[in-house]
Amino acid sequence: MRVPALQLKRKQWEPLAFASPSMALIALVIVFPLAYSFYLSFQNFDLSVGPEYEFVGAKNYTEAILRDDRFRGSVWNTAVIIAPSLVLELLLGLGIALLLSRVLRGRPIITALLVIPSMVSPVMAAMAWRMMYGVKYGAINNLGRQLGILDVYFDWFSSPLVAIMAVVLVEVWHNTPFMMLVLLAGLQSIPTELYEAAKADGASPWQRFWSITLPLLKFTMAVGIMIRLIDLTKLFGLIFVLTFGGPGGSTETVAFTTYLMGFKDFRMSYAAAMSYVIVGGVLLLTLVFLWIQRVRETRAAA
Amino acid sequence: MAIAIERSAVVARRARRHRTWQRLGHLFTYLGLFAALVFFLGPFFWIVTTSLKGNEDFFAFPPVWIPVEPSLKHYAALFTRSSGARYFMNSLVLSTLSMIAALVVSLPTAYSIARWRFGGGLLSIFLLVLRMLPAIALIIPIYIVYKMLGLTNNYLGLVVIYTVLYIPFSVWLLVGFLRDFPPEIEEAAMIDGCSRLRALVQVVVPIIAPGMAVVALFSFIATWNEFLFAIVLTGIETKTMMVLVTSFTSGGTDMFYGEASASVVLGVLPAFAVAFLLQRYLVKGLALGGTKG
Amino acid sequence: MRRFWSRTSVALLLGGLVTIGWLTWPAPAPAARPYEGQTIRAVVNAEYVKYSLTLVEQDLYDKLGVKIETEVIPADAFVAKTLLEFNSGSSPWDLVMFGPSNMPDYGRHFEPLDPWIEKLKLDFAMDDIVPVFAKVMLRYQGKLVSMPYDGDIHIMYWNKPAFERAENKTKFKAKYKYDLQPPKTWKQWDDAAEFFHGWGWDGSQQKLFGAGASYKPSGSGYSYHWWRSRFFSYGGNYFDANMKPLVNTAAGLRALEEMVKTMPYYPPGVLLFESEEPKTMLVKGEVPLLYSWTSTGKRVGNASESVIVGKAGFGLVPGADIDGKIINRPAITPGRGMAVSKYSKKKEVTMKVLEFISNPDQSLKIVMDAKTIMDPWRVSHLRSDKFKKLFPDADKYLAAIEQSFPYLVPDPVIPAADEYQRKLSFEITEALAKRKAPKDALDSAAREWDKITERRGPDKQKAAWGEKLAEMKQLGIEYHADWAAKAK
Repeated sequence: MRVPALQLKRKQWEPLAFASPSMALIALVIVFPLAYSFYLSFQNFDLSVGPEYEFVGAKNYTEAILRDDRFRGSVWNTAVIIAPSLVLELLLGLGIALLLSRVLRGRPIITALLVIPSMVSPVMAAMAWRMMYGVKYGAINNLGRQLGILDVYFDWFSSPLVAIMAVVLVEVWHNTPFMMLVLLAGLQSIPTELYEAAKADGASPWQRFWSITLPLLKFTMAVGIMIRLIDLTKLFGLIFVLTFGGPGGSTETVAFTTYLMGFKDFRMSYAAAMSYVIVGGVLLLTLVFLWIQRVRETRAAA
Repeated sequence: MAIAIERSAVVARRARRHRTWQRLGHLFTYLGLFAALVFFLGPFFWIVTTSLKGNEDFFAFPPVWIPVEPSLKHYAALFTRSSGARYFMNSLVLSTLSMIAALVVSLPTAYSIARWRFGGGLLSIFLLVLRMLPAIALIIPIYIVYKMLGLTNNYLGLVVIYTVLYIPFSVWLLVGFLRDFPPEIEEAAMIDGCSRLRALVQVVVPIIAPGMAVVALFSFIATWNEFLFAIVLTGIETKTMMVLVTSFTSGGTDMFYGEASASVVLGVLPAFAVAFLLQRYLVKGLALGGTKG
Repeated sequence: MRRFWSRTSVALLLGGLVTIGWLTWPAPAPAARPYEGQTIRAVVNAEYVKYSLTLVEQDLYDKLGVKIETEVIPADAFVAKTLLEFNSGSSPWDLVMFGPSNMPDYGRHFEPLDPWIEKLKLDFAMDDIVPVFAKVMLRYQGKLVSMPYDGDIHIMYWNKPAFERAENKTKFKAKYKYDLQPPKTWKQWDDAAEFFHGWGWDGSQQKLFGAGASYKPSGSGYSYHWWRSRFFSYGGNYFDANMKPLVNTAAGLRALEEMVKTMPYYPPGVLLFESEEPKTMLVKGEVPLLYSWTSTGKRVGNASESVIVGKAGFGLVPGADIDGKIINRPAITPGRGMAVSKYSKKKEVTMKVLEFISNPDQSLKIVMDAKTIMDPWRVSHLRSDKFKKLFPDADKYLAAIEQSFPYLVPDPVIPAADEYQRKLSFEITEALAKRKAPKDALDSAAREWDKITERRGPDKQKAAWGEKLAEMKQLGIEYHADWAAKAK
């Protein structure tokens, strides 16, 4: 039961005082560094050359967007990883959520068990899977050979295409439970009376799903997809441990390439500019997504 | 008469068919969930058994799935040679400190928003914007500043960052919990003479303790899992479990398979603990936040 | 009266004896541990390097009372993290491991050794250091700043039974029209890799592989080290006198194209292989050929994991046949050196530790152990009887190492060496992964190299490279534009 936020008796300064510690910290740790980074992105601060730097205008941005093949390649790689991951996470998450919603006994424990992959660090997930993908002693190849499916050892990172698939698999394993939770929450908010009524009217399970479940789940799905989409653009730790961008540069994501630029090549200003290009891109993506949602809603309402 | 018998027969047949479908449906459901469990928990099973393979089982073919002579020697090696104990403690200390700090800072802020609508409706937007920020945009300036201030390889420096990173989500959760009960209770306490702050601490906190526990566990595990800041800002004394894992990736994972798998097992322990502790709150609280670092 | 004197004399006698005894009794060994209780901090780039230090820690403690606390920074982040620390004017470490090809970037952060050698009367047994390593691992701008720790060069290993089986010989002769023998040229190497791939050349039913290699572009290399030997033997060099990159000349192209063409004969996973995976395959009898670091030899002879103990051959890395003469260009790759940080607060202790771990006996211990991956770098290592008897044919292994010394090709030891190597290695693996055509990959690398030169200052780079160019010329290594076409 939600209680409306009343106008409580208060002293003028109280709201601000209560919120000030976190405001101060946020200003210090987020706002200030972001501003500093923005400033740096217009200089040519390069630690491999020396501590001095000078103003170079938008040179870093033009280089990153127009002339850096590796960065553009990483944008493509990121997209190629995001698309199948999103689709699979949605489908798999929905499927499992539906199954879970039909189970009453033991649901909490099964849910808790299924959620665990989403609670481990992407680094741990990547390490575990990296060992499982091991060519000679990995679980997958060994199982495949034992079952007779594989003939020789298969290299799961032999070609760019296979490597991307391997990454997507780990991503999906890691994050489907999260999507499942979101969808489960959404499913539980659909009133059962609707199903009862439909059943009384003679609707089949399939019809019930199509005309009740899906439409009422649309909003939840949209929220889930948007959150996952934003998170996927930040993909870093998983790549670092699983492939380190390889083979070649085929699994380098935007965050990874930016990290290499800043912490291996020491080109801090350039990396700062890259990170802002990424932020800009994500902002754009989110706005487009929200706009699509808005269009869908107005069209549905009409 | 005949028609009545026929109709009831038809009804009976339909009922039986319905039951069969139902049973098939049940079977399908449980099979599906079983497959899901195998898929999502299988890797943990393999990693745990691998970490316990004392002899040459790791290299055996046909593969040995359950070690014949389980041994803890990899954990021993991890703790001694690779300083695993120290890094485990580091992760523990860092996560605990940020958990406490996040709570201490977020609770008043959430109170401010829940009771007085501080900041208008900006909270959700702020949350979204913050979530869109890739850590990489933050790490570069923070690294430079920290180096200048000598704050790398330093608990304080790291805790400050981790606290701030998880404020928005903690605040959002706490606002939800706070909104669920009336302010009359603390008003009553304040009439009795104590300040609002005291009222908050002594009256409100015990009531929303479950909510705070959720927030605490969330910050704990998010800090435990965090990687980018950890790898850039920690040094030999403050390295965390996440960074330790990366030292086993060079040279191929075959050589140090024991320590590598043992470090993974230790690194995922909190996830298991939190999952079980939060069973009931999973759908409600964590669904819309995630626990990734 | 007499009794008095006799008692006094006994007393005096006893007193005298006690005094004499007290004065001459061997004093308890005065702190044979002059630095008792001190700990220094070392930084290394892999777990096995940390392990190698544990081999000497007991003796170190017994002799000096010092303990070493070692931090491992993974190779991928090592150069970046350590240089970032040093460039900001401080470092939490006293003893620093580094890759000598990065000396131009590290050197100014190291404490020169000569003043300390004088002050503490240190003895680094300089005459015992193999000249080729002495050249790359000791000096920065003429000053002695470091000691070698790991002498990395490439030699070739082969599985003797694979080459001696009569059945294999007949099959090979029939297909390639010449006798099967350990390859001396690249063409022979590629033929052998093709021949051995995909069947049981050891007489078993297993599907084995053609040859081993490390193609992951991590740390500062792998794939580029493998390419380099071909490239130089086809007449290549890193830059010309004007800092124009020569990696995308015909020599580089031919080397890369051959590597791309022969990819099918290498084991799955080769694109992500770092140093150890192909060695494992060699010692487990799954590849018959490998050219790699000399530490491989120790694993070959390690009976607890190797199936080819006493059955392996050691020799020179293949070369190119130019006008009838075979030009070999085995790589002398980073290796490792140990130095004392200029910013250390415990320089004296660290100097003593450096002396200790570098002395012939302790360093022999380190380079002889199969799990350390450290390679011999002292003459006494190569001539040591203990080493020669370490495993069957160890003497032949040590001989192969010495045999390679006249032909070694170093890394481009100029500022930004690490970055040049990384970018090149990355492009080479892109071509091997078929993401780019070889020509595009090498052109891309050349462009990246130009960018690096531009950022570091073309004049500075030209000057630094000019020195190296002259050194290489003295060793007989020069760019030959015509070799790539006529090499056989």
